[in-house]
Amino acid sequence: MSHDIHKYAFFLGCIAPNRYPGIEAAAIRTGKKLDIELVPLKGASCCPAPGAFGSIDLNVWYAMAARNLILAEQMNMDIALICNGCYKSIWEVNHKLKHNDELRDSVNEVLKEVDMEYKGTSNVYHLAELYYNDEVCGLNKLRDSVTTPLSGVKVACHYGCHLLKPAKDREFAGGAIGDSEHPMWFEELVDALGAEAVEYRNKMQCCGAGGGVRGYDIAHSLDITNEKLTNMTAAGADAIADTCPFCQLQFDRGQFEIGQKFGVEWHVPVLHYCEMLGLAQGMSPVELGLDLHQTSCKPFLDKLKGGQ
Amino acid sequence: MTSAKAYKDAALAARLSDRVYRPAEDSDPSFTAEVEKIGGTAAHLCFQCGTCTGSCPSAPRSSYRIRTFMRRANLGMKDVCLNDPDLWLCTTCYTCSDRCPRDLIPTDVIMAMRNMAAKQGIVPKNFLATVNFIYNTGHGVPNNDANRVARVKLGLEPEPETTCKYPEFLPAIRKILEAYGTKQLADKVLSEGQ
Repeated sequence: MSHDIHKYAFFLGCIAPNRYPGIEAAAIRTGKKLDIELVPLKGASCCPAPGAFGSIDLNVWYAMAARNLILAEQMNMDIALICNGCYKSIWEVNHKLKHNDELRDSVNEVLKEVDMEYKGTSNVYHLAELYYNDEVCGLNKLRDSVTTPLSGVKVACHYGCHLLKPAKDREFAGGAIGDSEHPMWFEELVDALGAEAVEYRNKMQCCGAGGGVRGYDIAHSLDITNEKLTNMTAAGADAIADTCPFCQLQFDRGQFEIGQKFGVEWHVPVLHYCEMLGLAQGMSPVELGLDLHQTSCKPFLDKLKGGQ
Repeated sequence: MTSAKAYKDAALAARLSDRVYRPAEDSDPSFTAEVEKIGGTAAHLCFQCGTCTGSCPSAPRSSYRIRTFMRRANLGMKDVCLNDPDLWLCTTCYTCSDRCPRDLIPTDVIMAMRNMAAKQGIVPKNFLATVNFIYNTGHGVPNNDANRVARVKLGLEPEPETTCKYPEFLPAIRKILEAYGTKQLADKVLSEGQ
């Protein structure tokens, strides 16, 4: 196990810092116990949103993502991030620009007007993959950092889409993370915190929010969310764990919206993995901003207390 | 005639419910090539197995059929594709793309069609609202006062280390959005609706 400090430029995205700041706070604080140091990426913007923004013009999506990548290149650092949507934009554009000279040239031509040049010198990682990676952190180190195990609760893992798919365009080290049909690494990460990850039907299904559909047709989008909630609760889940603040927003606010639109009542707490890790390392629900969640986290927290 | 998709435009509804394919008037042969170029996937290799539609979370709850869009792409049916409101029901989950036995990326065929539609001003307003949020603040989901208070309680600064705290980065972002005509498109289409 390595004790070197791993430093990354911390790409925040939008929804974590501006709607669920507890995820940001937890990522920074829990990293200290794992020798992962997250350095501010000053002046970063929206990744920009791959569905809502990329649908309008992929070329401007490439250029806007490249601007964020250049900020990290100027710091000589790799990027770590906490959102699947950001992963698609930042990782995938980095990958495309590194391997497609024509595309890189066309992006750089526009970026020249703002005195920037994409060079392709940084790599991009999701924090979840770094937690799983033995060379950076690994399950043992994660387990050792736990002071208050999340025992007695069942957790449904929501992988989301854009971290893993399209799999043929992704390049994860080793085979464990890259599988998009039935991966188990997120369950292992959750189990490492002392909780019990449960299997549920159609677990790789989308949350329903992506591609601009949440804004375009909210009922359609929520109907997908409702199906996932049905499958998760059928497996006895006390909470949902996610690695994507946008999925989190869809499940968290979506439960309220589903109640309003469909008259179906759900009360399933939704937590980002960083928030769960924070709890397991002894951070309080208030320090994690769990009171900001629209769907109350209380049933989950009560069950944790009862189990300890 | 009532329209299954609730079109206000009766002529468009009639046009889209017409299932007869007339190559001479319906087909734009350059469409397939353009879709392939923007989407970066060889759509013409599609053999219509339907794995994509079978994998699609939007299919069971709407008339959106990704296989149909793949077929239309290869028949050059540009106008039908770009004017079909179902084009915007793809959640871009990429499940079809992981399962396609021809190793295509149908999701990026949809993205290419959306790009072409947007260029013609056919784009739902929520997509353009995101552009304006980014133009004005750098964020698709901007900060607000309640969140600033919450951030401080968590020991964070009220503004994250992004364009929120460093607005001096905004001019470059605005220049990029203008260089591609994205801001102009958003302004034009959003003002038309008023």
